[in-house]
Amino acid sequence: MRRVHDLKIGVSGIRGVIGEFLTPALVCDFAQAFGTYVGGGPVVVGRDTRPSGPMMQHAVCCGLLAAGCEVIDVGVLPTPTIQVFTASTGAGGGIAITASHNPAQYNALKFFNHEGVFFNQYERSELIDIYHQSDFRQAGNAGIQGIRCDPETPVLRHFERVLACVDTDAIRQRRFRVALDGVNGAGSLVSVDFLSRRLQCDLRAMWVDPSQPFPREAEPKPEVLGELAGLVRREQCDIGFAQDPDGDRLAVCDETGRVLDNDDVLALVVDAVLARTPGDAVVNLTTSASIEEIASRRGRKVYRTPVGEANVVDKMLAVGAAIGGEGSNGGIIVPAVHYCRDSYAGMAFILDRLAATGVKLSELAAHLPRYFRRSGKSMFEHGRLGPLMQQLEQAFPGAAPDRTDGLKLSWRGKWIHLRASNTEPLVRFTAEAGSEQEVEQLFGRVKELVG
Amino acid sequence: MANSLRISHVGLRGVVGRGLTASHVLQFASAFGSFLPTDGPVVVGRDPRSSGAMIEQGVLAGLMACGHECVRLGIVSTPVIQHAIRRMNAAGGISIGASHNAAEWNALKFLGRGGSYLSTAEAGELLDIYHLQKFDYAPWNGLGSLRDEAGALDTYLDELAEVYDFDRIRHFRAVVDCCNGTSSLVLRRLNQRFGLGLVLINARLDGKAFAHEPATNARTVAQQLAPLVAPIGADGGFVFDADSDRIGAATELGEPISEEMILPLLADHVLPTSRGKLVITNLSTTSLADEVASRHGGRVIRAPVGRQAAMDALAAYDPGQVAIAGEGNGGIMLAQFRFVYDGIAAMLGILTFMAERRDRLSSIIASYPRYSMFKEQVPVRSKRIPALLAGLEDRYSDGVATVTDGLRIDWPGRWFHVRVSQTEPVVRVICEQRGEEPRELFDDLMGRVRSIA
Repeated sequence: MRRVHDLKIGVSGIRGVIGEFLTPALVCDFAQAFGTYVGGGPVVVGRDTRPSGPMMQHAVCCGLLAAGCEVIDVGVLPTPTIQVFTASTGAGGGIAITASHNPAQYNALKFFNHEGVFFNQYERSELIDIYHQSDFRQAGNAGIQGIRCDPETPVLRHFERVLACVDTDAIRQRRFRVALDGVNGAGSLVSVDFLSRRLQCDLRAMWVDPSQPFPREAEPKPEVLGELAGLVRREQCDIGFAQDPDGDRLAVCDETGRVLDNDDVLALVVDAVLARTPGDAVVNLTTSASIEEIASRRGRKVYRTPVGEANVVDKMLAVGAAIGGEGSNGGIIVPAVHYCRDSYAGMAFILDRLAATGVKLSELAAHLPRYFRRSGKSMFEHGRLGPLMQQLEQAFPGAAPDRTDGLKLSWRGKWIHLRASNTEPLVRFTAEAGSEQEVEQLFGRVKELVG
Repeated sequence: MANSLRISHVGLRGVVGRGLTASHVLQFASAFGSFLPTDGPVVVGRDPRSSGAMIEQGVLAGLMACGHECVRLGIVSTPVIQHAIRRMNAAGGISIGASHNAAEWNALKFLGRGGSYLSTAEAGELLDIYHLQKFDYAPWNGLGSLRDEAGALDTYLDELAEVYDFDRIRHFRAVVDCCNGTSSLVLRRLNQRFGLGLVLINARLDGKAFAHEPATNARTVAQQLAPLVAPIGADGGFVFDADSDRIGAATELGEPISEEMILPLLADHVLPTSRGKLVITNLSTTSLADEVASRHGGRVIRAPVGRQAAMDALAAYDPGQVAIAGEGNGGIMLAQFRFVYDGIAAMLGILTFMAERRDRLSSIIASYPRYSMFKEQVPVRSKRIPALLAGLEDRYSDGVATVTDGLRIDWPGRWFHVRVSQTEPVVRVICEQRGEEPRELFDDLMGRVRSIA
């Protein structure tokens, strides 16, 4: 059996390697299915900077026009910008053409409803049914609309909303020296505008040319951000930011050149948002327990969900949360801006916190609850996850089990979580504890079991 | 709806949304992208139909996915696309437009190197790739790019200006019915740049509805164009289909000119000065063409009906031998324009001919001997066709039979042609006689056809 899937069509949409696998015909059909689902209203279409973007966009426009949708082409823009615009422009839905943090040979479609929010699982399964039935809305010549270009308004709307959430004047007055690694992605140009013009930072930007290939691994993991750390140290910056190709994920580097881990970045933003906004927090099961401590300092609650942006957003909508996110992947969701992962909201709130407290980022990070984490992965084999979960539960009899997404076992001050990946044939496992020694011990036992 | 999609050697054609869908467009564009070599760009243009916007997107996606650099001309006439392909030394091109069909139709026309339509062998290969559904998609870092090109129209006009002396025809006033198609763009620019006196009607590009069926036959000319010519004192009237490859005409008196007359008229114009002396046409076109050709030492070659047969016939001769090619439907290809169907070049040829002859269009038309033609069509079950043709050949065995496309029987001064339509389950019956109407022959023929079919 083939274990590495170069094309995946499923409830999360369509994603694959360009060439033999993700073909323009498939993309066009999927777009027409989406146009059918939204009933032929206007649809916002934008993309990131990967080389297959223009080809994919023509295929998407073809499918949408064939379904009788008007296309609002916003060009190359970050995914959150596309989502905010979809919600504010009366469109029937939106499509972002991006494989997000996946390597450049991949591309994918992200689907948004008229509120600019990721399709929930019910909407997604309806869409895939339409796709499989090929029962598309077919507009005749009289019903076919055109393509309208609007690359400017989405950026204005998005940044307006972000800046309204923070003390913009205080940030501007500090004239922060900021390093930026734009990975030559969709954020490249607008991030420069956001930081240097809107927030009047003294910007030192690298890799902000959308015509160039991705210069590093697309996912902004600490181990691939050495160049950013070097830039921060060399230019004596107050802070460094790194984005993924579609600008939804954020990584942060402190003034000493140390790249913070994703859970710490989320913890900083949760603290910054809760400092300004009433409401609770929603994070996934794999996110650090530090979030609970930070929230309880301010008398707030934390809700936990299965891994996946849509799951977090669904819960946030249900409880009216002030902030949400996933420590595991650098996703920060600030509903005052929009119900989407948004690196711009993340940047604004961290700068806001630096301006409000007047301390350095390394000091802010030092005040975070100190937890240690280890993560691992193993090939997924059919029929193995269930027995593994049972063995794990037997091996740790004193823990409180949670089976909403794989198995999470929690004790006071420590936890382990074992689950199947949503996107790859992998089993992922994470352990967290209050000391390095304790986490090594926990992680070692899990790893031994998983093999 | 019957026959709302047709996939054949001449490409892909259908009613958008009912027969012709986005899926077909992507698959066909991918097949063409796999068929074409990647040396040189691929040129894409379209007529103003709204569905053209959708089809253009699909065509670009398929071609770019196969690694082709695309040059997009936007809304232009088919001849502009064809000349651009040649000038840019492009690998080929696609013209999106259903020319003389109603607005709800659309089509893809595939063009090879040099801008000519694909030969039958090439078109067959393209169809095989399409049916096999195995496309040569490029890897993620080898995809094609897109460039918009706005100057193709002016370069095309420069080429027209090299062949035609606009000083000689500037004084003419002609009414042109653009039928909301691409000819309005070309003609407006012709007026602007060269000061021609063309009065345009139905000149607004319209993607949803045309002022009338975009056909170029005498019936269409009679509807809106012909009644306007005399009242405004014009020297003639012309009509073009949506992508400007065909032409229809009316005299200065407001009489529609039969679509059969366009080829003889232009053959009469080009043959005296042309090096090539052959006139290529189809088996259904008027014999006046033969009479005109022989006056100038020329000769008519007759091919089966249809664009594909015309292309193959052209390919069988050295281009230097051929003066003109065309059909009795207003589709004309001139040697000076490298045998591209071009209604506007044909119009300039007619105006130049009028200037040379220093005569009115009505007098020129009246100077030709009279030929009378009847055309009719009869529904037929496909199974009965062989018996029908054999029966007719037997019945009219005193004439000279040609069986390359249905059956044509020739006698001195008259002929008939019975052939099966490529687009509908009907037989077309055409009968022509020099001078008087061939009423007796036609009635007899129709009686036979009806009894056997």
